[in-house]
Amino acid sequence: MASEIVGGAALAPPTAIGVRRGARLRQLAPFLPAAVIIVGLFLVPLALMFAFSFWSTDENLDVIPVWTLENYQNFFTNPTYVRTLFKTMVIGTGVTIVCLAVAFAVAYFLARYVSRQWARIALLVIIVPFWTSYLLRVYSWQAILGERGALNQVLVGLGIIDEPSLLFVYNDFGTFIVLVYLYIPFAALVLYASLERFDFTQLTAAQDLGASPIRAFRHVLLPQIRPGLITACIFVFIPILGEFLTPSMVGGAQGLLIANLLANFFKNALIPEGAAVGFLIAAFVTVLLIVFRRYLRIEDVVVRG
Amino acid sequence: MTGAGTAPAIELINVTKRYGEAVALDRVSLQIESGEFFCLLGPSGCGKTTTLNLIGGFIPLTSGELRIEGQRVNDLPPHQRDVNTVFQNYALFPHMSVADNVAFGLRMESLPDDEIGRRVGEYLELVGLSEYRDRYPGQLSGGQAQRVALARALAKRPTVLLLDEPLGALDLKLRKQMQVELARIHRQVGTTFVFVTHDQEEALSMATRIAVMAGGHVRQIGTPREIYLGPVDRFVADFIGESNFLDGRVASNGQGPAFQLSNGTVVPIPTEPDGTQNGRVALMIRPESVGVGRGAPGGMTPNVVIDGRATNVAFMGNHTRITVQTDAGILVALRFHGESDEQAVEEEMLDQEVHVWWDPRESTVVTADDLRGSEEELRGGPEG
Repeated sequence: MASEIVGGAALAPPTAIGVRRGARLRQLAPFLPAAVIIVGLFLVPLALMFAFSFWSTDENLDVIPVWTLENYQNFFTNPTYVRTLFKTMVIGTGVTIVCLAVAFAVAYFLARYVSRQWARIALLVIIVPFWTSYLLRVYSWQAILGERGALNQVLVGLGIIDEPSLLFVYNDFGTFIVLVYLYIPFAALVLYASLERFDFTQLTAAQDLGASPIRAFRHVLLPQIRPGLITACIFVFIPILGEFLTPSMVGGAQGLLIANLLANFFKNALIPEGAAVGFLIAAFVTVLLIVFRRYLRIEDVVVRG
Repeated sequence: MTGAGTAPAIELINVTKRYGEAVALDRVSLQIESGEFFCLLGPSGCGKTTTLNLIGGFIPLTSGELRIEGQRVNDLPPHQRDVNTVFQNYALFPHMSVADNVAFGLRMESLPDDEIGRRVGEYLELVGLSEYRDRYPGQLSGGQAQRVALARALAKRPTVLLLDEPLGALDLKLRKQMQVELARIHRQVGTTFVFVTHDQEEALSMATRIAVMAGGHVRQIGTPREIYLGPVDRFVADFIGESNFLDGRVASNGQGPAFQLSNGTVVPIPTEPDGTQNGRVALMIRPESVGVGRGAPGGMTPNVVIDGRATNVAFMGNHTRITVQTDAGILVALRFHGESDEQAVEEEMLDQEVHVWWDPRESTVVTADDLRGSEEELRGGPEG
């Protein structure tokens, strides 16, 4: 103990207890700004919203502290809301699967067959578009998928279709494509970080020991990159639950997702209903994270990516 | 073809492996008999690892034929070959315990659980790691990981066990221990071992037969003794052990074939070697065969004696190494200690006029041209 506080002893009162308390306070001091931000800007608003989700509104749409479960009941008794939630889950799952499949192929190729230096450059190229505006990128997709867009021109030019199709954008397909594009880099980064550490001679060894290539993959590679796969799933799936800009720009009237619903509630000053939807999503995400918490590795993305 | 009893364990017939333009193996033929501890020895890039990978099935042949126990296996994928490998970096599965690593290959064969359990126990016992069965590879030392890799491969009871520089990653002391250990395990299991190394001492100490490779060719195949005492060319002589080479030419001294050194001394040789007529040749003498002293040699043997000056005397512990400059070239002599304490005498030799001599029956004429050729090929070929 004594040796730990030598540095502080010159400034703190010379009693042992005083020195210890002073040292402890100094140790905690660096956490103060973070604590203020988390409590003041996150936990308190969250608590407020949680309370709002159980409160009512008066005829002026002002929130009044009258406790009710109606906000939650309304959500589950409205088929459109439930259908939107369900559709969001389906699209989120689909996008996650496609993202992971494409990102895995890219990451596997980079990790196994490309030198580390070139792999880093390739990853950078994948990430660079994400330094441009989100809005710009989604607008670009409107241009690509639209009636006079690049995709239609190519398909008509090749004679695959006779006239420009309206099916590519302002529907669920458009949302799906753009979401896949937006989230592939996250998945690729996480999976690359995971595969980069894998020693591929293990696959050779497994085949040497009698495993077919598929079994070698399943029994040797898959268990070792499972944390990366799950982290990638979480990094793609959870943000999609909050996506409202992309669906509103390329999803059209029927391509809306749950977050658009939530945004609409707030736009219409239906704060308690909006809060209730928000907490339903948050509860779902929390359950997901608890189930997979053992595998979630933030450092895969933040440190290694 | 014929019964398994007569077919060699491994047979390469005119096997060639090309990577684009580079030729890694050039029409190599060799036979490895059942039960051998066969060593592929050569410098990096000589084709030894390529040969091992071809046998394991990890890379395809460009042309030629590969047989395991008489069966052509050119197109058989690795998981269907009755051959297992100890990889250079061991390639243990880090997410499995030692016991599960050893059991992996047996599970792939779908053996019954009790048989798997029995064999895992048996082979961990063989390599002396019974107490480590529940550890994970990350918790093992290099030597232990090596033993697990060995047990994992042997538990499959393959026709042939391939070992790719398995001792390369170990420190010197551990390497010596593992050499003894590998030889014991080979005797105990009786499986054919094919071993790749660039370390000639490892090859000499463990192998029953050695194939010395360079530039994608097999230079010489033989027992360690045959190769050490009768290297076919200067490359082999130089690669295996230490050698003195004296330039000169093949001549006749009237009584039979002889070799004339550059200072005119004529050394009788047993037979005129093939193919040494036109190319550059050298006379090879192992340093331990060279005698050195300030007086003339005693004894009955008809020694070749030349004069020189001792330019360096190095005390090496169990022997002293004396370098002598003669007008026929530089000769290194080793004098082993023990019989009499001559260290003082040896130290006095430094910068003195001395005689060097050797029994001509212990010198061999080798072709000298090959070395340069093979070095060029080495640079062109891929690693391994």
